[in-house]
Amino acid sequence: MQIKSARFGTLDIDESQIICFQNGLPGFNGKKTFAFIAYGENSPFAFLQDVEEPNLTFVVAEPFSFFQDYSFKLEDEVVAELGLSDDNPPGIFNIVRIPEKTGEMTANLLAPIVINWQTRNAMQLILEKSPYTVRHQIFPQGISEQKTKGGK
Amino acid sequence: MLALTRKIGEKIIINDNISITIVDIKGDNIRLGIEAPRDIKIYRGELYDSIVSENRQSASPVDFAKLDLLKEIKKK
Repeated sequence: MQIKSARFGTLDIDESQIICFQNGLPGFNGKKTFAFIAYGENSPFAFLQDVEEPNLTFVVAEPFSFFQDYSFKLEDEVVAELGLSDDNPPGIFNIVRIPEKTGEMTANLLAPIVINWQTRNAMQLILEKSPYTVRHQIFPQGISEQKTKGGK
Repeated sequence: MLALTRKIGEKIIINDNISITIVDIKGDNIRLGIEAPRDIKIYRGELYDSIVSENRQSASPVDFAKLDLLKEIKKK
């Protein structure tokens, strides 16, 4: 299907890239259907582009590349609602907020996005009694040092 | 907004399947007991609001040129 994005222009999106948030996203309750657009091969970053609203794009990151110890419990209700199983592990992403200085970008570890890639249903969880906050620095040592490290 | 006065031990019922009991009152703190089907999501208001606020700020227009910095970063 074709969708329009203010960022990417007109995109040809395969059905397998379309994910559905049945419960919406907090703050965007009417918005349920997004295209998942990988930023590049092997990148931990991706975009969620609303299929109807060209101006609504989120940047998301796969957290374990930056926060190796990140963990939370997937409650039974979530596993049931999304239809997850041991054979069908979920995709986990966190919404990224990009302030004036790109290097100071933060990830919302308190509200992870969980995706069932088989059904392409997704939810944004809100963790209770969690040590995490809505803002964790992705590059606490600065973005350029991170790059140098990765290159070695 | 509907405002109801309740005493400790009294309940309100919402939609036949949700009941909220006033468990205890100590000074400014009121303890509520909530019984609801498992698929009903219940959050503390300030926690939910913080996610709404952060989502909205994250969706604000991003200059994607700024993201060029991220191109070379690979999964670990």
